[in-house]
Amino acid sequence: MTDLDGAAEPLGLTEATLEALLFVAERPLDRREIATLAGVDRATVDARIGDLEVSLAGRGIRLVVSGERVELATAHEAGRLVGRYVGAGATRLSPAALETLAIVAYRQPVTRGGVERIRGVDSDYTIRALLHRRLIVELGRSDSPGRPFLYGTDFEFLERFGIASLDELPPLDADVAARLVEEAAERAANDDIDAEADDRRHDAGPAAETDGSSPGVAVGPGPG
Amino acid sequence: MVEATPPMVVVSGAVGASDPPAAPSVVFGEGRRPEIATQVRMDAFEGPLGLLLSLIEQRHLDVMTVPLGALAEAYLDALAGLESDRIGNVSGFVAIAGQLILIKSRAMLPRRIDPAVVSPDEAPDPEAELRARLILYRAHRDAGARLQAAAIERVGLFRREPAVANASGRAGAVIVPRPMDPAALAAALVRMLRVIPPPPPPPETVARTITIAQRAEIVRAALRGADSIVLQELLAGVRDRVVVAVTFLAMLELMKRREIIVEQHVPWGPIIARSTTPEERAAAGGILTDAPIDESLESFA
Repeated sequence: MTDLDGAAEPLGLTEATLEALLFVAERPLDRREIATLAGVDRATVDARIGDLEVSLAGRGIRLVVSGERVELATAHEAGRLVGRYVGAGATRLSPAALETLAIVAYRQPVTRGGVERIRGVDSDYTIRALLHRRLIVELGRSDSPGRPFLYGTDFEFLERFGIASLDELPPLDADVAARLVEEAAERAANDDIDAEADDRRHDAGPAAETDGSSPGVAVGPGPG
Repeated sequence: MVEATPPMVVVSGAVGASDPPAAPSVVFGEGRRPEIATQVRMDAFEGPLGLLLSLIEQRHLDVMTVPLGALAEAYLDALAGLESDRIGNVSGFVAIAGQLILIKSRAMLPRRIDPAVVSPDEAPDPEAELRARLILYRAHRDAGARLQAAAIERVGLFRREPAVANASGRAGAVIVPRPMDPAALAAALVRMLRVIPPPPPPPETVARTITIAQRAEIVRAALRGADSIVLQELLAGVRDRVVVAVTFLAMLELMKRREIIVEQHVPWGPIIARSTTPEERAAAGGILTDAPIDESLESFA
């Protein structure tokens, strides 16, 4: 590597070079990172990612997308074989953990209060356990009173459950999905009332800034 | 929890990729008192909504249409079978039980259905509210079960990373178990013993002899260069208590031999030693330098 300085000449980005870059990277790459490396704009990166995703469909290596980041990973059809080769087994969770994980996955970003409102039971321990296993992550803090943590999923969740992106999540019950859309519209105007006292058990440290979006507006995968 | 009398009906579903997700496990025993015969397995589900949903599913009822008030009794029966050490969760169970009783009471009371007189401020229908919660809960519970099924079926996606690379280094090797040869084990042990260096010998303790004569000579040498010396200064930096003690004894010995005079003006103060003048020695009957210094300490006894 000789041109690591910022004034390196733009290299451009083709589908093939993107594939090579993701192949060598042993971690998910950010779209902006790719754009900076290749010296191209964001739209080009998005377009090449789309091209590569189409090309890899049906292959043993697929593109896994989580928000701004992408990575190459094995196809889910190959999971059993590769898992046997590397000695990895399927992730198995308790019913409580599965419920909680599903709520976070489908309703992210969601606060602990939002999870507990659906489950009807204290979910502090379960959320901590899922955080410990990196199946859910902290996305920031809600702007609602108490500034509770917002939780979502990341690559670990996608990889362990064999999902290439959140769009591949199995659809929720149709009625519930419709309800989620309605809720999202409501919550765009009203703050999450369940947030108060949500984080009393969490560290009351200085609140981190979020991106300013209203909490709970995003509705994970849409109605299927 | 009281053991149910057999026979029992065990209600539980199997998690499959296409099957509906498992209902939480509830065991209904045959007995005169259902609150004793009913067992609720708390490890199969968590929370009051899970319990209520399990009661509905166990009876093959439709959550969209079932009159929830009719389940109040069954719910209370199941609640009575809960382990009492889960007080933290019991409050949630009791809240749902209260809601069920309210729904049942409202269903039993005659109500005039006239949309024209319904106040917009009237509280929402508790049954509709609870039903909506149940549907929402069930959707996510089922989604979780489908995720689990997918995880089991697909095992996972694997990316190139050091952990996988390391694992693949070990993977694929066919391990053929072979009978262990005791002679090979013994040979390996011998090789290992040969490789391991012998432990280093413990540090030898060398006895160091400090004599009063040596220390007396040090005091004499110090006094040759100065009119007087302070014992504390002479011993500054000496950490060996034996050296300190022997030096002190040497000083006393030199006093006996009238070579030096030692003074200490205040307790714990500096101990000042100086050589005796010829007049002082003459007045005291001369210096006693002929006899060798007695190292036996008997003279101090």
